[in-house]
Amino acid sequence: MEHYLDLLSVLMLLTAIMLVSHKRIRSYIRTFRLQAVLIAIIAGFMGMQSLVNEGSFDILVICAIIVALKVVIIPMLLHKTFANVEDVVEKDFYLNIPILILMSCVLVVFSYFTLSGISALNEGHVNLQVVNAFSVILIGFFFMISRKKAIGQIIGYLVMENGIFVTAIFSTHGMPFIVDIGIFIDMITAVLIMGVMVVQINDKFDSININNLRNLRG
Amino acid sequence: MGMFESDSLLGITIVIYLTAAAAALIFCSRQRISILLTQGLCMLAGISGAASAIVFLMSKNTPYSLDLFLSPIPYLSLSVTFDGLSAFFLLILSILVFSVSLYSMGYLAHYVGKRNICIYQVLCILFILSMLLVFVAGNSILFFMAWEVMAVASYFLVVFESEEKETRKAGLIYIVMTHISAALILVALMIMYQYTGSFDLSHSSSAIPQNIKNIIFLLFLIGFGTKGGIAPLHVWLPRAHPAAPGPVSALMSGVMIKTAVYGLLRFVLDYLGVATPWWGYILLALGIFSAVMGVLYAFISKNIKRMLAHSSVENMGILFIGLGIVLVSTAAGAKEVGALALMATLLHCFFHAIYKGSLFLSVGSIHWATHTKNMEELGGLIKKMPVTAVLCLGGALSIAALIPFSGFISEWLLYQSIFSSFVLGQAGLNILLIITAAALAMAAALSSGAMIKLFGISFLGRPRTVHAESAVEVPVVMNIAIGVLVTLSLLFGLFPRLAVNLFGGIVAHLQGVSIGNRLSGNFLVLSFPLQINSNTLSPGLALVMCGGVILIVLVALRCIGGKYTKRVVGTWDCGFKTLTPRMQYSGRAFSKPLKIVFRIFITSTRELKREGEALYHPTSIEYNVKTESALEKYIYLPFIRGVSAMSEKLKFMIQTGSVHAYLLYIFIAVLILMLYNRMD
Amino acid sequence: MATVTYLILQIVMVLLFAPLVNGVIGKIKALTQKRTGAPVLQLYYDLYKLMRKTAVVSDVSSWIFRVTPYIVFATALTASLMVPVSVEILPAGNMLSALPGDMILLFYLLALGRFFICLAALDTGSTFGGMGSSREVMISSLIEPSVIVVIFTLGLISKSTSVFSIMASMAHSGTSFVGPVTILLFLAMLIIVIAETSRIPFDDPSTHLELTMVHEAMILEYSGRHLALMEYGAAIKQLLLMTLMVNIFLPFDLLPTTGSGAIVVALSLLIYLAKMLFLALIIALIEVNTVKVRFFSIPNLAALSFILAFLGFMQYFVLGRS
Repeated sequence: MEHYLDLLSVLMLLTAIMLVSHKRIRSYIRTFRLQAVLIAIIAGFMGMQSLVNEGSFDILVICAIIVALKVVIIPMLLHKTFANVEDVVEKDFYLNIPILILMSCVLVVFSYFTLSGISALNEGHVNLQVVNAFSVILIGFFFMISRKKAIGQIIGYLVMENGIFVTAIFSTHGMPFIVDIGIFIDMITAVLIMGVMVVQINDKFDSININNLRNLRG
Repeated sequence: MGMFESDSLLGITIVIYLTAAAAALIFCSRQRISILLTQGLCMLAGISGAASAIVFLMSKNTPYSLDLFLSPIPYLSLSVTFDGLSAFFLLILSILVFSVSLYSMGYLAHYVGKRNICIYQVLCILFILSMLLVFVAGNSILFFMAWEVMAVASYFLVVFESEEKETRKAGLIYIVMTHISAALILVALMIMYQYTGSFDLSHSSSAIPQNIKNIIFLLFLIGFGTKGGIAPLHVWLPRAHPAAPGPVSALMSGVMIKTAVYGLLRFVLDYLGVATPWWGYILLALGIFSAVMGVLYAFISKNIKRMLAHSSVENMGILFIGLGIVLVSTAAGAKEVGALALMATLLHCFFHAIYKGSLFLSVGSIHWATHTKNMEELGGLIKKMPVTAVLCLGGALSIAALIPFSGFISEWLLYQSIFSSFVLGQAGLNILLIITAAALAMAAALSSGAMIKLFGISFLGRPRTVHAESAVEVPVVMNIAIGVLVTLSLLFGLFPRLAVNLFGGIVAHLQGVSIGNRLSGNFLVLSFPLQINSNTLSPGLALVMCGGVILIVLVALRCIGGKYTKRVVGTWDCGFKTLTPRMQYSGRAFSKPLKIVFRIFITSTRELKREGEALYHPTSIEYNVKTESALEKYIYLPFIRGVSAMSEKLKFMIQTGSVHAYLLYIFIAVLILMLYNRMD
Repeated sequence: MATVTYLILQIVMVLLFAPLVNGVIGKIKALTQKRTGAPVLQLYYDLYKLMRKTAVVSDVSSWIFRVTPYIVFATALTASLMVPVSVEILPAGNMLSALPGDMILLFYLLALGRFFICLAALDTGSTFGGMGSSREVMISSLIEPSVIVVIFTLGLISKSTSVFSIMASMAHSGTSFVGPVTILLFLAMLIIVIAETSRIPFDDPSTHLELTMVHEAMILEYSGRHLALMEYGAAIKQLLLMTLMVNIFLPFDLLPTTGSGAIVVALSLLIYLAKMLFLALIIALIEVNTVKVRFFSIPNLAALSFILAFLGFMQYFVLGRS
């Protein structure tokens, strides 16, 4: 069982790194969807486990909500809003891809070193799953920094949410229901607002490259 | 004390060198005779030096000392201590001296009547003798004196062809950096004396407290690192080695930069003793940096000697990686791993001296035959100089660490020692080690690429200029000299146990553990396999199998395909019919893809000048590309500019030229000293 | 005696099946693209035809040009002796006797072949050759670090870098082979194998446009028996790399322990062929679904492979669990 969870955490890390190595908006959305599917599988596993052990349904309910929201609705929303924005193909990121990939690798090493000091997490050896999940958070944040267009920030934020969710579920093997609903509502609002704003920005300025905002300086 | 004891052979060696110097001076006017006599005597000295070292290593004598000069002045006695480490380096020196002397017999004929051969030969012998004394010095004073003589002698040899501005500038950079490093070494030696009260190198160092030992280590690191050409202190090497005459470059690259390794082994491993692991970490980090930097610049060089000089920087980086692993494992107490790493480092040192010497001599032959060092002007030399080409190919295969030459053995042992030093639980060390292994792999692949470029562009294809077209084969003597070195490289590549047996004693002495038992091997038909941690290696057997396969293939092809027929036509030219030599790939084009990939380290500036009014039909176009090292542009040049500016300002304040000011300075200095003495 | 049987069996299998792999991959590509494609045995016919033709040799080239095909073939075949097609056919108990050497020796033997191909390409004095050499040098130096990290991680799992030991320890490891470490190393190794065998997305094996050739550019001048040896050598190298992957990462040697030796060996060979078919399917599908990337995007792929290998190393070794 632990074995499969290890495997899934590694696959999540892989999707995060794949995200960093992509260059186009459609690929970002597709990778995010893949990551959401993985999270759903993880939540499903843990839900089954808790169902068998304790007979509680809550994790399975969360799993269903994830499938509905992150796998179906949010990618659809993003697709509708952003897929039509890309009529000028320009370089969306700073530096170049190999360096960004190497830096996300450094972030993984970094999260290992930080987490190995927390003895409550370790049962004698560092918890592989938590390290991978935490790295996903850091890589999501890094993705936010390294992309120029606004869609980069949105997807980075969503990946961070994914990471936080997976870290919580791996370290506690369960999650209080209320907290999770709170996070979900938070997220939907954020996505809706950001989506609306981006459409407005694009209409006004014909571009969503946030660097152009610097031209607004008086 | 029979004639074939090690110490008497050593004495004979020194005497022969002095005789050779005398011969050079006596026969100053009859240049041809002086060349033959001096170089012949040097060859003899090389043989006797090698014999001395081999006799010592085979019989595992205890170290012995000779007192060269005992004087009533208390600090001024010089003594020679000869132990395994000295024997090892003496062996390297002697083999190279033998080949270089044989080579010079043919090479110096070039200079007869044009230059002062007498001075050149005396300087050479002084250089060799000083290196010998560095290796056998038993106390710090003799060590440092010999070190300084070595630096000065090599400076004069580097600027031997001083009519070119580049050479003079190279010499200047070289002498400044060597002296700064010598000053640091002197400070370290003085600190050592202050705490132990003796200059003797076999004295124990337990009187020195640990943090002072750290300071001494750092001083030695910077001092010996500069001499050995470790990035970022390597800037003198790619300028000085190409500027020197061919045989001198071989000696410098083969032996002189190895004195850095000797210094670190003698002073840090043997004398100071390793207790802290961070020494090893610094060496590992510097080694990785040098290896990658060196090989990158080697790959984009177009001057064949400069390419080999950068490759020396890379190999010194690899040696530092080996030393780093030795220090790390010794500090952690893992003696067997340390012994393995030490064996790998010693073998790499030995093999590198041999094959780098052979490559520098081959490149010297190319320069002798074509009068140019620029790769872009060569080409097609394999048809004009076939023997040199084969020997150069042997050297190139050795540097690229390919079977069946010796480079592969030392590289393999280094990989195995990195592999053995992964310790469960030490995450930081493991990550550093895997990055070291990856960097080593990339450096090896890039250096094989650089050798493909060197051999391919210089020897293969069509001649690109008149220089290359009019090349002739070099005198037989020169080829025999290079042949000796290449044969040694091949020999040790096929029979690695010879080298392992020879140097096992040194490793045992330095580490306390004998690696000979672990590196055992069985005897197979043509090879001596090595066996470590249940890994076996038999390059000889692989070679035999390849040969067998080739024979079977030839037979099979004869059966299936009939007799071999061929038709000789021009190269495929897409119907163009007039292929010129300029249509071949040039050296710069060959290295362009990697230059683009690594553009962070290699900045280029481009300049395009066009004349003519029409945009698409200019009357002439000139395109200039200049590459410069990012290290030099962003670190060295601002630093040098700052120092120069500061010294300009201070010049007018201190060196005023007025006698009264100088008298005042002396007076104040005397007063301060008196005060200091009183307050102490 | 057992050693000699092993050697003969191994050489026969390798020589027999190397051209078949090429044919299978080509056929799968053709079928997915809804065309008939060349017959599966095409490379055999090609080799036979080439061996009987006259060799056309350029007047600019030297002995290096003529020696290289033999060296390439010999190193590939000798290297394949170190990678057994099935752990069962090794001489019992004594795994190290056939050809002493380990994975580092394996990759350096292949590097020797590559060195000579690059030299031979420069030997002809044509622009294509120089271009192929320079591109090949760049690709191989960027992919070498990942190779070493994969070798070291596999070696650390099985405590030795010898090929036989690695295969044996992976075959006998009780835990399921689908673990995080092996998945990451499998993906890294897949990218390495595609790079070394010059397939899409690194290089198109069926093109002759100078814009896109790497390996083909280097062997452009060869003809007759020389070309036959070069093609055969490349096919053997491909077979040996695929065998390495298949026997390390998919060690299904589920065999009945009873039964005579010959039947066990035959069954294990059949299982080997099935595994190779599976890997050929994966490679062919990758070739069909991706395009040959822009040449300066190859560092991206190499960085990806290095990251996968490095993460695999970290997951196993730093975290102490496999």
